[in-house]
Amino acid sequence: MEYDIVIGLEVHCQLFTESKIFASDANKFGGDPNTHISVLTLAHPGVLPKLNEKAVEYAIQLGLAFDCEINKFNFFDRKNYFYPDLPKGYQISQDKSPICLGGEVKFKIKQGKVFSSHTVKIHHIHLEEDAGKSIHDLNPNFTYLDYNRAGTPLLEIVSEPCMTSPLEAASYLAEIRKMVRYLGISDGNMEEGSLRADLNVSLKPKGSEKLGTKVEIKNMNSIRFLQKAAEYEIERQAEILNNGGTIIQETRSFDPDQGKTFGMRVKETMNDYRYFPEPDLAPIVLTDEEIKEAKVNMPKLPYELFETFSKEMGILEEHAYLLTEERALCEYFLETSNFTKNYKSVSNWILSSIKGYLNENNMEIIDFPVKPSKLAELIENIDKGEISNSAGQMLMSLLISSPESNIIALAKSNNLIQSKDTDAMGSWIDEVLTQNATKVEEYKKGKKGLIGFFVGEVMKKSKGSADPKVINSLVADKLK
Amino acid sequence: MTYKTYIEFRKSLFEKTTLLVDVVKEFLQNIEKHKDLNVFLEVYSQEALDQAVIIQEKINLGSAGKLAGMVIGIKDVLAYKNHGLQSGSNILEGFKSQFTATAIQRLIDEDAIIIGRQNCDEFAMGSSNENSAFGPTLNFADKTRVPGGSSGASAVAVQANLCHASIGSDTGGSVRQPAGFCGVVGLKPSYSRISRWGLAAYASSFDCIGPITHCVEDAALLLEIMAGNDDYDSTVSQIPVDSYSEISKSDKKYTIGYFEDALNSEGLASEVKDLTQKKIEELIALGHTLVPLSFPRMKYLLPTYYILTMAEASSNLARYDGIRYGLRTKNAGSLEELYKKSRGEGFGKEVKKRIMLGTFILSADYYDAYYTKAQRVRRLIQEETNAFFKQVDFIISPTTPTPAFKIGAKSDNPMEMFLADIFTVHANVVGLPSISIPNGETVDGLPVGFQILGTEFEEKKMLEFALNIQKIDF
Repeated sequence: MEYDIVIGLEVHCQLFTESKIFASDANKFGGDPNTHISVLTLAHPGVLPKLNEKAVEYAIQLGLAFDCEINKFNFFDRKNYFYPDLPKGYQISQDKSPICLGGEVKFKIKQGKVFSSHTVKIHHIHLEEDAGKSIHDLNPNFTYLDYNRAGTPLLEIVSEPCMTSPLEAASYLAEIRKMVRYLGISDGNMEEGSLRADLNVSLKPKGSEKLGTKVEIKNMNSIRFLQKAAEYEIERQAEILNNGGTIIQETRSFDPDQGKTFGMRVKETMNDYRYFPEPDLAPIVLTDEEIKEAKVNMPKLPYELFETFSKEMGILEEHAYLLTEERALCEYFLETSNFTKNYKSVSNWILSSIKGYLNENNMEIIDFPVKPSKLAELIENIDKGEISNSAGQMLMSLLISSPESNIIALAKSNNLIQSKDTDAMGSWIDEVLTQNATKVEEYKKGKKGLIGFFVGEVMKKSKGSADPKVINSLVADKLK
Repeated sequence: MTYKTYIEFRKSLFEKTTLLVDVVKEFLQNIEKHKDLNVFLEVYSQEALDQAVIIQEKINLGSAGKLAGMVIGIKDVLAYKNHGLQSGSNILEGFKSQFTATAIQRLIDEDAIIIGRQNCDEFAMGSSNENSAFGPTLNFADKTRVPGGSSGASAVAVQANLCHASIGSDTGGSVRQPAGFCGVVGLKPSYSRISRWGLAAYASSFDCIGPITHCVEDAALLLEIMAGNDDYDSTVSQIPVDSYSEISKSDKKYTIGYFEDALNSEGLASEVKDLTQKKIEELIALGHTLVPLSFPRMKYLLPTYYILTMAEASSNLARYDGIRYGLRTKNAGSLEELYKKSRGEGFGKEVKKRIMLGTFILSADYYDAYYTKAQRVRRLIQEETNAFFKQVDFIISPTTPTPAFKIGAKSDNPMEMFLADIFTVHANVVGLPSISIPNGETVDGLPVGFQILGTEFEEKKMLEFALNIQKIDF
């Protein structure tokens, strides 16, 4: 039997605010256990939460980036349950009135050289606080508690169950990670748990309207694993259904070593969280001005940049796609483009030489020593014919070790100035032609392709400093 | 010298006819002498004496604050840094607060002296002070009777002259009802007038800090100091604080409403009724206009109050789990047992009852039938009450339907116990300010209170009216 795959994701994203969502304790990953805590985090009697405005601004920004409706009157609810790493016995969350409603995530998936466009609908985005951490594996008889994480601001991005393949789900999550990094609201680090996803998978007979029973796979902390877990889960469910079985609604976990999902606990009935409006916090009332201000503080978004790069700046779509993968890359590109109009060349430099260097050295673009203005200067000099392309490559390596150097001076001292001295070139050409008399004969008999060989030989003699175009025409003249 | 008002006392301090250390010593002696009343859970004797010396110095230098030398006791639900805080409960056994409630800090900043923390019903749940893990507090007017609750001991402290004033909390009448039972003044301001930072929560959308004093003037002064915006409480009102302490006697005439049905209800003790009626006649004689009001929804006040407060309490008290502080059972083999036993051993009967009922009220199957409906009724009552205030300046009533009852008399009858709050809960359900002032005594010498309900953030008007009609018998 054939099935439609239905995938939905609940993505939790920790926000990069300096302090926690309802307390002034530092919001930092790492640190010794229980060092970023206070009476508020520990829920001492008499404490009251105070909302961190930055978290609200970040929520609005993500909402705007995904084209959500910003809910101008929203409030917090208490989600009540007991767990040792939940200090108050309830989590402050948003149940009835999330800060962002609807919206969609648009992204492209590249398979081979082909791009396909995808849109995943968002149900809502809400604000909440993270819990602390229970550490079970330090001692078999004890559970240790670290409350540093308790109160970290979280955005929960809940998609509609509308994804139809594991690849689409993985790409959706990658797009969210890209976006939160772009906006600078989260580091999107899945290994450290800044970004985590719960994956909901169900199957229904092809074309059927009715959704099948869903299985939730909790706490996916890698995009690759998410895709694998979804793939495995689809296979598992299809097999059960094909054998006439039924899917149990349950929570499962994914073991990356075995590539399999395992049942955690059967959800007999839904957990009763006894949600009710948080009486200790005033509702969040947003004005158009506040929303506008959040928007003003936003950088340009990847899909906007993709359009700008490909449509206005004439960059190949494939390159525009690669450039917009990372905000820092875009920024480097845009800044360089402030100094030169040869955008294509800028893009080529970044995506080939610079990226190559970064990958080799396991480095981020922000740590790349050559500043955008220097790169632009290099490009301009190549375009003016002062430096040849190949000399440019050599200059780049030299610049990496002395990024402040003057380009022309550096080129001169390394003999990389493109020679415009036709006398010198003339003598090199004469030498080459004399040394290759037989080839000259062949050329004259009609083997015109040999001109490239002559030019190459002359270039070698010039140690890359000659302009190949000029040599080409000079050689052609001589051989007439 | 008998204490009448802080202003007068302050004068004697500044004129050096009274020495602050002597005052503190006298209070400490009184506290010791009346230990049987079971008012103070902890007395900060040495600190109070040390403070007296420091503040006396300030008085001598002329740099003393607005409350210089006022000796204040605080209910055991208010956080005071490095001092015990147990909310009258075993579950907070040995707990010391690491910060000070905003309201208390503001008193200290004005050179008040905190003399100790006072007994109360566990987590402020109760109307008789019998629900304390530390045993009942006795009414100084009759030691066989309750002082009311939950700020019962705070009222007795003023009644028995163990301090100048007390700071209590009022969620459904917990300041006014014991003030009525003990013949002192109890003020509940508008909801959110005073920051709740540092008040151990019972029901967040009802809880108010309020003073218990000898006179309206002191209540006004303490409110003025404690009220106002606070960075630590995002629900606190931003409305500027009036100069309550500048109230003065006037012959302003008001239109005053009262609920006729309530005054004629069966549950109202005849002596309470008579004293209230007498007060009404006095008011008419003073030239005020009295208007009988019909309030059919009054019967929904108590159910609304209990449903919502229990729901909020069940969540507010979830933090007391034995994990991070307070009592942790020694007999747990599993996490679930740790929770059940710690909470089972730590909480008293009334608190457990309210947590269970509150949990039930919020459960998915009953949420709409109880919580949602009660919220709706709360809004209706608010609207109806606001409509009353289009007609009248104040609504008056007795503070309680009966004078203080015998200890143990209502312990087995929770519904009857709840009725003790019938007149006071209205103010909490609608968030309005209300004050209880003494209104004479029964033949047996039991104090009876008179309650005024005012309009939101118009505490000054209400206090001025209260000042005009308060009778102080010395």
